[in-house]
Amino acid sequence: MKKSEWSDEELIQILRQMPKIEDNRHPHDVYQNIPRWKRKSVQWMFPGIAALAALLLFFILVPKFMDGNQQSVDKAAKSESAQSREMAEGNNTIKKEKSQDSTPDSPKMAAVQSNMERTAIYDDEIGNGQVLTFWIPDEQVSFLVPVSNIVAKSQGKTWMDLFTEKASELKEPEWGLTDYYPLNASMNLDQQNNRVLVDVPIGHQYGQGSANELGFMEILKKDVASNSTIKQIKLSTAGNDGIEFGNTGMTSELMVSNDKNRAFFFYYPQGSEKPFIVPFNKPFNDVQSALGAMKGDAPISGLQKSILPSFEIENVGNEGNTLQLSLKSNDQLEDNQQTLLCLEAILLTAKDFGFEKVAVSNSPITQIGPFDLTKEIQVPLAPNKRDF
Amino acid sequence: MDSVFNELYQKYHHDVFQFLFYMVRNREQAEDLVQEVYIRVFKSYDRFEGKSSEKTWLFSIARNVAIDFFRKQKGWKERILEKFDWSDNQVKDDHPIPEEITVQREEVQWVYKCLENCTVDQRAVIILRYIHDLSIAETAQALGWTESKVKTTQHRSLKVLKRQMETLFEKEGKNSEKVRVER
Repeated sequence: MKKSEWSDEELIQILRQMPKIEDNRHPHDVYQNIPRWKRKSVQWMFPGIAALAALLLFFILVPKFMDGNQQSVDKAAKSESAQSREMAEGNNTIKKEKSQDSTPDSPKMAAVQSNMERTAIYDDEIGNGQVLTFWIPDEQVSFLVPVSNIVAKSQGKTWMDLFTEKASELKEPEWGLTDYYPLNASMNLDQQNNRVLVDVPIGHQYGQGSANELGFMEILKKDVASNSTIKQIKLSTAGNDGIEFGNTGMTSELMVSNDKNRAFFFYYPQGSEKPFIVPFNKPFNDVQSALGAMKGDAPISGLQKSILPSFEIENVGNEGNTLQLSLKSNDQLEDNQQTLLCLEAILLTAKDFGFEKVAVSNSPITQIGPFDLTKEIQVPLAPNKRDF
Repeated sequence: MDSVFNELYQKYHHDVFQFLFYMVRNREQAEDLVQEVYIRVFKSYDRFEGKSSEKTWLFSIARNVAIDFFRKQKGWKERILEKFDWSDNQVKDDHPIPEEITVQREEVQWVYKCLENCTVDQRAVIILRYIHDLSIAETAQALGWTESKVKTTQHRSLKVLKRQMETLFEKEGKNSEKVRVER
């Protein structure tokens, strides 16, 4: 029986009938579950840790910001000090120049002289060593650059042993040349028949493309010619006679001929101020026309003129093994690195024409680098000395 | 085991538990809160002056624990959300009716349901006065009120309960009538 209205008494009766509720857990469990530690400690733990972390972050970040400001201040200070230093230096150089004007034999002049260096190898520096020359393609692979150094002779080692040894130590990319050595071939001396044996492995890359194969043969011939008196190169592939070149066909022998009567030009590899002095392959009839050609660039890109306008040759003559050059009296000729390079190109060209010495007359200066123009100058042994 | 705990447990544990159960209307919560009561009892046992009876002292602690629980439950998240979510302001009954109540007769269930809609103070008075059968004086001690405040609160809570019962009856009655019609 339901009612829609209850009196207070009835309501209280119902409330009194509310069931008794008991905790069903064992008292022991209840006791165990009472935490001995105050809850309060936990309450401050979290904000405490958060505050610590915030402080930590603060100390990490603030110095960064401070640092950033400081750096810009530092930079400003630095640039200022740099400026003042430059100014101070400017004053110094002015002073120096002044002092140099007054004393021509100042240390700076001496320093300039010692800074000028020959690029070829000469008789006076060879000692007990032996000159090795490698012919290396330039960066564009359009001509070959001879690179030489003096290596120590060692007993029982032929020039070929030294050649193959050093081939792996060449720093072609560093010099601005094409990385070509060591060759993918074994080179040996056949002393009985006075010839060089070149053996390439099967699958070698030298037969691919006409430029490739011509370059390879040219390099072999030039390497042998520069380093020995041998006239014959025997070719083989994995021990079998001959090398198959795509265009030339099967080739089993190369004849070495000494190149002669070439003119030498400058080759500046990219980013380099020191040129290689490189022969242009075409021979000239006489030394006069060769020297004349050297006043202009070679008809191949990359080879630049090696005789400066200031180095004006009026007369070319010869007396035995000495090339005689008479200069036009010219005030512009200076004793500097460029003139020295120019003289070396002339010396190398003279050598190619079979001269042993060069005499320069009527020069406004008596000295170019280490060369005394009042005396006859010995032609170099090999061009382009580089360390390897 | 602690002798103090043992004594208190023997004498009052189930009373305190029942009070908390009706206050928070959830057995698990009541179990947790009982532990909290013990913690507070141990912390302040030496300060117990004996002015009131141990029983009313325990009830007063239990009431404070319950009030703190309600406060905590209404945490900062809820407080913020409440500001934005106007639809959520309605009274809701998210606690299922405990098993102990569902086995009772219908009117008892209704009273239990309606208790939810009383304020915490009203509920505390009703539980102490009518379920625990405390006198007005004892209730005043437990709640820390004057006896007259207990009387007025008790009167007001019975009124609220009555009104709630009537609306609930109407709703339930219609439902049962409908059922009857369908038969």
